[in-house]
Amino acid sequence: MGKLTNAVYEIHVLDEMAERDTGINQVHPLVKLIVTVVYITCAVSFDKYNLLGLLPFLIYPLILFELAGISIKSCIKKLKVVLPLVCFIGLFNPVFDHTPLFKIGNIIITGGIISMVTLIMKGTYALMASFLLVATTGIEKICYALKLLHLPSIIVTQILLTYRYITVLLSEANAVFQAYSLRAPRENGVKYKIWGSLIGQLLFRSMDRAGNLYDSMLLRGFQGEFYYARSQKGSGSDYVYLFSWLGIFIALRLINITGYLKVFF
Amino acid sequence: MIKMIQHFIECRNISFSYEKFSQVKFSYENGKEVLKDVSFKTDGKEAVGIIGANGVGKSTLLRILVGLELNFTGEVLVEQIPVTKKSLPEIRSKIGYLFQDSDNQLFNQTVYNDVAFGPRNYGLEEEEVEKRVMKALGTMGITHLRDKQIYKMSGGEKKMASIATILAMEPDIILLDEPSIALDPKNRRALINTLNSLDYVKLIASHDLDMILETCDRVILLAEGRIIREGITELILRDKELLEAYGLELPLCLRGYQGRKR
Ligand SMILES: Nc1ncnc2c1ncn2[C@@H]1O[C@H](COP(=O)(O)OP(=O)(O)OP(=O)(O)O)[C@@H](O)[C@H]1O
Ligand SMILES: [Mg+2]
Repeated sequence: MGKLTNAVYEIHVLDEMAERDTGINQVHPLVKLIVTVVYITCAVSFDKYNLLGLLPFLIYPLILFELAGISIKSCIKKLKVVLPLVCFIGLFNPVFDHTPLFKIGNIIITGGIISMVTLIMKGTYALMASFLLVATTGIEKICYALKLLHLPSIIVTQILLTYRYITVLLSEANAVFQAYSLRAPRENGVKYKIWGSLIGQLLFRSMDRAGNLYDSMLLRGFQGEFYYARSQKGSGSDYVYLFSWLGIFIALRLINITGYLKVFF
Repeated sequence: MIKMIQHFIECRNISFSYEKFSQVKFSYENGKEVLKDVSFKTDGKEAVGIIGANGVGKSTLLRILVGLELNFTGEVLVEQIPVTKKSLPEIRSKIGYLFQDSDNQLFNQTVYNDVAFGPRNYGLEEEEVEKRVMKALGTMGITHLRDKQIYKMSGGEKKMASIATILAMEPDIILLDEPSIALDPKNRRALINTLNSLDYVKLIASHDLDMILETCDRVILLAEGRIIREGITELILRDKELLEAYGLELPLCLRGYQGRKR
């Protein structure tokens, strides 16, 4: 059951990354949120055959990984659970779309292949950007930013609690399976007969824990509003950060790079 | 205006049972009675120990006082306000409650954020919040744990942090469920000294009778959900027959060490 321990650990690592003091961590959360949303929107809105237009968008994650001092490898490792899903969806495109686009040597490249690649790229971009947002900002500050955008506080609280309870659920699962495997050392995994009662146990335990934690919040004056992040004023550098990225994204989106490249070839 | 309150906590004939799901009726019904006709009141700013064997209802009693269990019969008054669903916010601003299990108490990433959670909810300025947090951490002697990730802390460290979360709210009354559990001798000693220096009404449920002896003015002995005896700490904790009849033992310090029996 090492996977469960790992999952809990990964979430904590993410939280810890967000607590660090790099320059990028100090950028105003709202600015980072807007930049991320605009980035994803621009990247995703490209035409499905526009591979060359999409490529330059790689600079945003590359630069951010560098600024935040996070290795790309560690991000890919974390995303490898979701990435296959994105690839899987893309896999069907070559089957359905046979429009020939161009030839490399003797091989005809169909629209399906290109659109598969662009889909995978768009998915990866979106995932990396979201990962970077969480890893440099932290869920609490993201929620603070959402609140600044006047999202209803019930939704913001929902997001925050869900994130918190994932850890509760995972660590309870971890405890239950550890207790099981210590007393069933010969078994590889869990006997199917016991799955039912184990899952039931898990459900009750995590409901109980979640209830207790909620009580603990109520006892300390929680009334449905989180006051986590200290309110943070935007500084000059926040504006510079915001407008440079927005400028770059919009330029990359509007300028027809494919067109320019054709001139050269 | 300073109001002179005589009885910070008053329980009048409380009976309580946890709800149980009945498979016959397919609905919830009352299970076995956990507390039966419990009445007591605190007298001024005193510290009261609640003792009794496992499962007699000590934790349940504390949970009722802070309004975590509401379908009891009888009446509970906190600073003369009846505990009802409506009065909960007011009551809870006066009481700090320590869970028996620290993992239920702490839910933030870092110690600082967790201790600051309460003061922030009461709308204090961030400067004041920081002052309160640092004061609470200082009182518990854990200033060095300020930015520590909670999931990386030991059981005892979590206990100390949990107590700090309560102190930061500056309540009038504190309810402690097994505060000394998981503490090493040095931290346990520090806890006892801290408790004695705090000018709050204190209710302490514990099996650590030595700690009760050193911190409490009065003791309530529970058995099977009833109050069996109530009185001066010294008197009850010296009563060997009484304690042993209800599944307890004399405090270690009163026992006289006779070596390990073989
Ligand atoms: N959530 C619950 N649902 C149903 N019954 C419960 C629940 N919590 C406790 N009980 C029962 O209520 C009784 C009193 O429990 P309580 O936790 O108050 O005991 P305690 O005196 O604190 O024991 P300990 O010394 O072990 O902490 C026990 O018999 C227990 O089985
Ligand atoms: Mg208990």
